Amino acid sequence: MDKALIPEGVKRCPLPVFGLWLLFLLAVIAWGIYAGLTVLIKGLNVTGLNNYFGFGLYITVDLGIIALGAGAFFSGFMYYGLSRFFPKLKELHKIINLAVIVGFCCYTGALLVLLLEIGQPLRGWFGYWHANVHSMLTEVIFCISCYAIVLVIEFVPIILENRKLDAVKPLHVFGHNLHEIMAIFAMTGTFLSFFHQGSLGGVPGVMFGRPFAYRTGFFIWPWTFFLFTLSAMACGPAFTALICRIIEKVSNKKLVDRSVYELIAKITGSLLLIYLILKTMDTLYWALDTAPGFGLKLSDFYREPYGMWLLFAELGLCGVLPVILLLTPQTRNSNGLLFLGFFLNCAGIVINRFAMTVEALAIPVMPFDQWAVYIPTWAEWAPCIAMLAYGALIVSLSYRYLPIFPREKELNP
Amino acid sequence: MSGSAHSEHAESKVRYGMVIDLDKCTGCGACSVACQQENNVSFRPDESDKLRTLSWMTLYRLENGAGYPDYRAAMLPRPCMHCDSPHHSPCTFVCPVNATIRDEHTGIVDHVAVRCIGCRYCMVACPYHARSFNWWDPKWPKSMEAMLTPEVSPRMRGVVEKCTFCHHRLNLARDRARLNGEDPDSVVYTPACAEVCPTGAITFGNLKDPNSDVAKLAKDPRAFRLLEKLHTEPKVYYLSSAQWIRRQSDNGL
Amino acid sequence: MSLGRRAFLQFVGGAIGGTLLTPIPWKLADDSAIWTQNWSWRPSPERGEITRVRSVCQLCPGGCGITARLVNGRRAVAVTGNEAHALSGGGVCPMGASSLQYLYAPYRIQQPLKQMGSRGDSKGFKPVSWAEALKEVTAKLTKLRSEGKSHTVACLTGQKRSTMARLWKRFLTAYGSPNFYTMPDAADSMRLAVALTTGRDAEVGFLWDKATYVLNFGAPLLEGWGSPVYLQKVFGRWQTEKPGVPRTVLVHVESRASLTASKAHRWIACNPGTEAALALGIAHVLVRDKLYDAAFVAEKVFGFEDWTDATGAQRKGFRNVVLAKYGVEETAKITGVAPQTIQDLARELAKQKHALVVWGQDKGDKPNSLYHDLAFLALNALLGTLTPSGTVVLVPPDPWGDLPEPVLDTEAYRGAGQTALGRPSTVPRTKAPVNTVLPFLEALASGSEYPVELLFIHEANPAYSLPETALVTQALQKAAMVVSFSSFMDETTQWADIILPNHTALERLDDVIGLPGAPYVYYALASPIVKPLYDTKGTGDVLLNLAAAVGGGVAESHPWKTYEEVLKATVASIAKAGTGLVATAGSFDPASVLPGRPLQPNFKDAADLWNKLKAGACWVDAPAAVESFATPSERYELACQGLMVSISPTAADDLFMPRFHPLKPSGEESEFPLLLVAYASLMLSEGYVPNTPFMNKLLPDDVLRKQDVFVEIHPETARTLGLADKAAAVLKTPRGETPVRVRLTTAVKPGVVAAPQGFGHTAYDEYVQQKGFNANSLVEVQLDPITGLGTLWATRAQLRRA
Repeated sequence: MDKALIPEGVKRCPLPVFGLWLLFLLAVIAWGIYAGLTVLIKGLNVTGLNNYFGFGLYITVDLGIIALGAGAFFSGFMYYGLSRFFPKLKELHKIINLAVIVGFCCYTGALLVLLLEIGQPLRGWFGYWHANVHSMLTEVIFCISCYAIVLVIEFVPIILENRKLDAVKPLHVFGHNLHEIMAIFAMTGTFLSFFHQGSLGGVPGVMFGRPFAYRTGFFIWPWTFFLFTLSAMACGPAFTALICRIIEKVSNKKLVDRSVYELIAKITGSLLLIYLILKTMDTLYWALDTAPGFGLKLSDFYREPYGMWLLFAELGLCGVLPVILLLTPQTRNSNGLLFLGFFLNCAGIVINRFAMTVEALAIPVMPFDQWAVYIPTWAEWAPCIAMLAYGALIVSLSYRYLPIFPREKELNP
Repeated sequence: MSGSAHSEHAESKVRYGMVIDLDKCTGCGACSVACQQENNVSFRPDESDKLRTLSWMTLYRLENGAGYPDYRAAMLPRPCMHCDSPHHSPCTFVCPVNATIRDEHTGIVDHVAVRCIGCRYCMVACPYHARSFNWWDPKWPKSMEAMLTPEVSPRMRGVVEKCTFCHHRLNLARDRARLNGEDPDSVVYTPACAEVCPTGAITFGNLKDPNSDVAKLAKDPRAFRLLEKLHTEPKVYYLSSAQWIRRQSDNGL
Repeated sequence: MSLGRRAFLQFVGGAIGGTLLTPIPWKLADDSAIWTQNWSWRPSPERGEITRVRSVCQLCPGGCGITARLVNGRRAVAVTGNEAHALSGGGVCPMGASSLQYLYAPYRIQQPLKQMGSRGDSKGFKPVSWAEALKEVTAKLTKLRSEGKSHTVACLTGQKRSTMARLWKRFLTAYGSPNFYTMPDAADSMRLAVALTTGRDAEVGFLWDKATYVLNFGAPLLEGWGSPVYLQKVFGRWQTEKPGVPRTVLVHVESRASLTASKAHRWIACNPGTEAALALGIAHVLVRDKLYDAAFVAEKVFGFEDWTDATGAQRKGFRNVVLAKYGVEETAKITGVAPQTIQDLARELAKQKHALVVWGQDKGDKPNSLYHDLAFLALNALLGTLTPSGTVVLVPPDPWGDLPEPVLDTEAYRGAGQTALGRPSTVPRTKAPVNTVLPFLEALASGSEYPVELLFIHEANPAYSLPETALVTQALQKAAMVVSFSSFMDETTQWADIILPNHTALERLDDVIGLPGAPYVYYALASPIVKPLYDTKGTGDVLLNLAAAVGGGVAESHPWKTYEEVLKATVASIAKAGTGLVATAGSFDPASVLPGRPLQPNFKDAADLWNKLKAGACWVDAPAAVESFATPSERYELACQGLMVSISPTAADDLFMPRFHPLKPSGEESEFPLLLVAYASLMLSEGYVPNTPFMNKLLPDDVLRKQDVFVEIHPETARTLGLADKAAAVLKTPRGETPVRVRLTTAVKPGVVAAPQGFGHTAYDEYVQQKGFNANSLVEVQLDPITGLGTLWATRAQLRRA
């Protein structure tokens, strides 16, 4: 049965090995589900969250993972949209399936974690019913759930390409039709994503009572709105590339042409550079104008463990360095440095999300208030780690049973 | 829905506000206890984790930072500031489900627990830590359930709660005024904290009524608000003649 | 099968639309949300008509007016202040505001209990009927009386300012025992000092509203001393700008930057327990620079100049003693206050039109050293504040006369001839009552003199709230039988043999007599706000019941059937006196009451007064002005001739007059290099009742964190001990040791450890227990060598890293 499901002409590891791997992942997921149920049944008191840290690991991971999952929409956008004008982008065809799958994992996983994060998950749908149109979170709720549906729709045809499923005529027709209209969904997804990535940035940016997070902006959107979108575009494809590389390493195969990686490196490197420039301008404006307007100096915002090192790590080590690594042809040619570049790129964005979520809340705004430190508990780590395991599970299954890499057969004769 | 929040509130002739005289406040805590009792704020055997406690009226200790014997301390009671910033308060702006909205007729920022989904975005947005989250199911010793007041519903686990300026008391006063054929907008009422304050440090009333004590005190040279530079426009004013206290009212003073 | 694009889209759209059109997902989503809004385990308070009942709080001697809000007349849901109350005017303290949490406390005793196991076993109590329990106590009382051991019955009550205290005293007197005690009070020593210096039995009242300058030696005016809410109101008035009226200046003397010190206009930091020395230093400057009220001193004061005692011996007067002994430099050395400050304070005081000197400790529940009370009184005398136009008045504790004299039968006479257990012979004989609680407990614990066969404990928790708790527990174990009237299963009641639970303060009719520190004669009735919740009985009624059962003179002395009749008799005697009025806020100005100007009654008769008082109002009158003194010299005695019997005739001259007399704390300085002081707070209850959950919520996390209580130390002290902020440490005194955590603050002097009172309960429930340590178990009491009263100032202590 297993054999029959595996795409034609490719080699996969023996079933028992794969089974063990799945077992491991399932165990991690079970642990996460146990933690999730604990949170749902006992309440959020089992987490490390408190009245100062209303947002914590769940939100950080959600923001991070959604940014990293942006590879789906942005690759889609480039492939289905921009490639008409820049034919070079057609190359992305070779990795677009993976990008969709990774995006699917990230978004569905994030939604599941989000369900734990709210105190009254059964009222989660109030966001639609009693929507406050001014709230960035309303925008997030709308866009993320809509986009998750889009990702499901984008994932379905990939699933239907499975050898066995494809043999079923109606499914084949269904899948084929979906493929035909995929560009529409890709563009819908792009539209939704631009917005919700931005509104995720808006979440901290609009908090005018929180000087660390608050940003001035353009019309109703704070600068973080645009920065979040841009940074997600800069790291999403890099994350897809990293995942791809991990699959290559694990399966010991070449799955995409190196040219794809180089293309992604150029794209994400350039975007990261643009992002960094804008982010630096934003940071400078915030540090020199916005914050002083609130009576605060840059140094007021940083104190151990949330020290200045976070800023340097975010913008220097995980900002400037990956830009150099990704945009310099010499370093791009070295596999080690190239993927280090991708990794640092992703790490920098995650640090950014962490700073905007957790550090923003550690800082006392009232001068007589105190600094607080947030330490997540197992009940927060477990679902987040399980979410990663869930992603690994989906990706593993997809890789094994779906022809997601069109070039695999040729590259591994 | 959010329609009412759209309208600018300049026309309303009622803006309930509070003035807390820190020269008078002795930090005894009666306000906070009265508040807990009035609003069925639940408690736990261990209330020492101040980051997890439910508290609508919190006492902060301010210190002048001087050495012995120049040291001085003062207590600062902090209710919800019922921010009057144009368009939206920091919290009402971000609530995705309109569970917390500002009544543009009175300026009171209310929180509807049964609407709240517990996302805590409002808590995150509030620089005053005026909001607390129900981390646990509220639980009273069995015999103490008898002392729960029916005027304010106990909240459930997983939602946010905060000071409402004893909104239920306003509703009662307005109902009474309507029955008596009086203008409901002209009613004066007193929240529980102001009612019990033994030194009379808390004054409450309509800030827009120039004859009210609260409006006069808000213009006192000793008056200030917390974090004015954020432009959250609190409707809670403080009075103090001590420079070292006033300096702690905002950053960069 | 072929499917066109259009058909495909139709199919997908139709499928999605179709599912969403079925009510199932929507209904489920809605129902589940509604369910979360109505969780059955979230209590849903019963609705109903809301009514209000007014009464007077009895949780402390403050006598504040309260208003209870009831649902359907039976469920009390809130206690707030009574805005019509003349003196508390709508204010309450945190304890008063949370008083319902005592009424509805899970740790209430719901019916009479008898210890069936061994003493002290909290699980050994079994319910018994009231008849059974009373029969047992009556039998014991009757037996002891018939055996001529009536003096071995003792009572300790915490309800000091109520007719209950008089009833207990009357009961014991008629029964034949001198062993009646109230929980210690600042008035215990102050009344003795007043009696010695003025010849009257009175408490000191202060005209707060008249004073323009208040020099306060240690009394935490804003943290529970005296009548807390009344004083908060006074402070509120001081802080209110009144055009043309200069602000009253509050100068506070204390070693620690308490909230009162911080709130005062000026804080004079002195070494712990040296306030009296500073008072004498100031007196020195006043005398030296002739800044005192010369007219008053010349006409009304005895012992200022040298004097001749009854034996004809020539003795030095106050002038010479204070000039010789309390020079500015010497005082500065003792107190740590700069010489210039001492002189400035004296000059400032002398300049004032209405200066006031006040003194005290904690919540007014600690007797002072007699000599120190005399010192503060002397400073007032020098400033002339005791004159009719001054700021200090003498408030008689019993202005309208007591209940009719008890009938004394032979056994009562025999008992009256016995000395109170442990009472030292040095106690001066004055009109003031003597309340030697600690010598009594010491004698009981050590088994000296005679045993105690029956000990009644009423509205008190001495095993927790008296200093040196170990001694109290020991004493409780030595008493042959302990009967507790407590409403709560507290640390003391756990040692009882029989518990006859009292109604709580909110369930009973009771009264409040006098307000500590206030310049008024005060009386108020506390009406029950709800019917008793459990099978409890008011102790007043129980006591009358016991008196009737014992029979003889005891029964005759208690002609009343109910406690209500006793209260009615008290009210009737007030009405008969024909002065004082039922005061209500608004029409009554507390500042207008001046000594010597009795208020005109505004009530018709006793019944009218009763009804008005039952409705929550209070009766107030002005005390008489101090025109004359009933001392041997008929003057204010700076040199107390009444002390002749207490001290040897050959004693030095300064032993008759105010002096700084610190008692040496035990322990070696080398082992205990620090001084421990315990402090009181309105957020903490250290008396009969414990902290409520509401009050616990107020406590900062640098006072209590989980089970750890923080002691305050100066950063310098911490540095020498190698302790960081919040570090765990062990606090040791000669009385015991306990784990603590330290809070580094410059509010305390280097070398001093300040510990909060009110923690460390072992009884009650999970909301009270397991929170830190009881400061009373660490502090050391020192018996005043003259009065035998237990005084407290500082205890030697050691702090080390845990």
